[in-house]
Amino acid sequence: MVLVSAVRDYINRMLQDISGMKVLILDSHTVSVVSVGYSQSELLQKEVFLVELVDSVSKSKESMSHLKAVYFLRPTSENIQHLRRQLASPRFGEYHLFFSNILKDTQIHNLADSDEQEVVQQIQEFYADFVAIDPYHFTLNMPSNHIYMLPAVVDTSNLPHFCDRVVDGIASIFLSLKRRPIIRYQRTSDIAKRIAQETARLMYQKESGLFDFRRMEVSPLLLVIDRRDDPVVPLLNQWTYQAMVHELIGIQDNKVDLRNIGKLPKDQQEVVLSSEQDAFFKANMYENFGDIGMNIKRLVDEFQQISKSNQSIQTIEDMAKFVDKYPEYRKMHGNVSKHVTLVTEMSKIVEERKLMLVSQTEQELACNGGQVAAFEAVTNLLNNESISDIDRLRLVMLYALRYEKESPVQLMQLFNKLASRSAKYKPGLVQFVLKQAGVDKRTGDLFGNRDLLNIARNMARGLKGVENVYTQHQPLLFQTMESISKGRLRDVDYPYVGNHFQQGRPQEVVIFIVGGTTYEESRSVALQNASNSGIRFILGGSVVLNSKRFLKDLEEGQRMARSSTAVV
Amino acid sequence: MATRNRTVVYRRHRDAVKSVRAPLFSSASGSGGPVIEMASLLGSNRSSYAPLSTEDPGPSRDAFTVGLPPSWVDDSEQVAANIQRARAKMAELVKAHAKALMPSFEDGKEDQHLIEALTQEITDILRRSEKRLQKLSASGSAEDSNIRKNVQRSLATDLQNLSVDLRRKQSTYLKRLQQQKEGPDGVDLEMNLNGNKSRLEDDEFSDVGFNEQQTVKIKKGQQEREREINQVVQSVNELAQIMKDLSVLVIDQGTIVDRIDYNIQTVAVSVDEGLKQLQKAERTQKKGGMVRCATVLVIMCFVMLVLLILKEILF
Repeated sequence: MVLVSAVRDYINRMLQDISGMKVLILDSHTVSVVSVGYSQSELLQKEVFLVELVDSVSKSKESMSHLKAVYFLRPTSENIQHLRRQLASPRFGEYHLFFSNILKDTQIHNLADSDEQEVVQQIQEFYADFVAIDPYHFTLNMPSNHIYMLPAVVDTSNLPHFCDRVVDGIASIFLSLKRRPIIRYQRTSDIAKRIAQETARLMYQKESGLFDFRRMEVSPLLLVIDRRDDPVVPLLNQWTYQAMVHELIGIQDNKVDLRNIGKLPKDQQEVVLSSEQDAFFKANMYENFGDIGMNIKRLVDEFQQISKSNQSIQTIEDMAKFVDKYPEYRKMHGNVSKHVTLVTEMSKIVEERKLMLVSQTEQELACNGGQVAAFEAVTNLLNNESISDIDRLRLVMLYALRYEKESPVQLMQLFNKLASRSAKYKPGLVQFVLKQAGVDKRTGDLFGNRDLLNIARNMARGLKGVENVYTQHQPLLFQTMESISKGRLRDVDYPYVGNHFQQGRPQEVVIFIVGGTTYEESRSVALQNASNSGIRFILGGSVVLNSKRFLKDLEEGQRMARSSTAVV
Repeated sequence: MATRNRTVVYRRHRDAVKSVRAPLFSSASGSGGPVIEMASLLGSNRSSYAPLSTEDPGPSRDAFTVGLPPSWVDDSEQVAANIQRARAKMAELVKAHAKALMPSFEDGKEDQHLIEALTQEITDILRRSEKRLQKLSASGSAEDSNIRKNVQRSLATDLQNLSVDLRRKQSTYLKRLQQQKEGPDGVDLEMNLNGNKSRLEDDEFSDVGFNEQQTVKIKKGQQEREREINQVVQSVNELAQIMKDLSVLVIDQGTIVDRIDYNIQTVAVSVDEGLKQLQKAERTQKKGGMVRCATVLVIMCFVMLVLLILKEILF
């Protein structure tokens, strides 16, 4: 609740003191921020009768001076330019400007210069600069995410932008929570270190007045880690509801776009999957596919009963009851259709791509040992005609990440087989991923085969057997969270920034994964929070990954790395 | 959650800029110093807006022209006012219900009348508002059609909530009324009859009286109930009609239509579509046969004229 309610509070405060008819003007980022936490009908209740994007406001010429304009923008230079133009020839009666992050003094001066008609009534900073998709999960929806993979020498122009955006996002999280954290970062990642240091500089030096909140006994912890420490989780196929929808179809800002999937009725072409608004989804978002099927069947049965009773209207009282309950009935109808459509489409995709078969091998590669058996399984699947290219690529990548050092000959064989089978994907990509996230680059014990304790644990698990072969994988994040809960996160692997230090365990932890999070990890965080261990974890990333997005980032990164070496 | 107000810094800079600009302009305009009227600060009382256009625009832009809001705003304000009135009446109705349910010595006929009158009034207000709301979409220009649509939606949601509320209050009142009526007579009048039959053996005297009294009560009860049922039917019908009309306008919460980003997208799409249609229309018109016909005719006219002149010259 905490992230979504922060955003809602900000928006409420923006709108509450301004009376009369209002128009809300957003930019392409703040649209996402507002849309996941606030609905159109709630805006209407607050008398906001028009919502526009800042770049399209200038195109219209009509003057609507009976409306008051509420702007909510990110303080970027383009937005300031748009604003200056609009202030010079104002369309609305009053202008109330809210920015989602810290404004520079020059920006304020520029705006004041353009405001000849003195239409601006207030300028405030309301720090809602993140997209709160779930109660404990946020994202920054950054467009060029792949930049994090490139070393600083390669791309000198875009990397500072990337880091600035991340630092702004993290700062806004802590400003909305009103806390100032102790910062730790992953030692092996340069970009994590850079982001951690810049955040520390912002919070403790540049804007130390702004961040000077009431100190609690134990400071919260900000941990900045790199996606490349756990490259396995975005590559795996998922079987829990929310993660599965994102993996197979794609969720953006809690919306699912089904238009490319098949022929669907108009009201099911785009649907909303939000745990705040949909009780069924909230109860089932972390359940596995089999259980979801059963729960949906139960939901459909309930609904059928209700609609049957609605059809047998005989007395006046029945009719009155029907009219009373009609809105709820309609809502339930929409909800049931939505979930049934989603599950049907996903089952179709699972059938087509033979994902049950592929995923079994994937989970084996990620969790258990046995190089020989793994090699055989992967080879068989590569030979199988009905497996799609992207799945073949993922299998080879997972194998390479696991058995990088064992039997390089067999690895070469797999590369060749992949090249011969898939026209689109080149094995160079697998080598790229090894270069980025290979065993030398990783800090954490991804496969549980580094220290004796983990090996023993794995063996015990192998002997005991698992409940569900398809969901046996635990993301590395789970181990990290456990270490934090026990206060045993190693200083060697995750050093503190500057002279920060923390005694004991923190009570609030924000983990930021540079390069993106996955829904499997957010599920892990939610389950950990639900287990009442006394620590509240919040997870965030630059984007929310699925295997398609991760592979695209890898391709982009590879392309840029190649073009830069060509130049050099 | 932390916020930071930068208005002070902003105002300071704006005033500084103004004073720098002022000496440049005071030489241009005749009157002493520009007077920048902040008409927008007149507050939310929209009816006090009046066009404050200046006679000489001049380089200093003395006053900010504030226009009247469009006419449909009056309609929407009327509907909003009606909704407020309806809410006040509902509060009265609740009180009247409570009073009628209290045990009293009189018949309670005037309470019934009051309740009926109030219910009728509220339903009337709702129906009129709903009709006015439908009219809202027809009037007005295309540019603020979005705003109109949103205003409509918001008022429609309020109206629908009110009608659902009214329906619920009515049904609880009737239920309690029925409970009360059956209460003092026992569980059920019919049950009483049966119970009475068993007592026939016990008391020969009392059963005759009981029977008569009960028949009278039954008849009166039936008449009253019939009337109430008719009333219920009528109000249910009306409310159902209102809800059906409104449901087209109201947004379903939790669906894609309730998402802000979806609504922005559809606006952009429809504006694009509109532009495309206009361009297509323009093209068809240019290509149109009419233009070609007209050009041909004009050329023919000229040719004939030339031929005529030639004929005159040659003959």
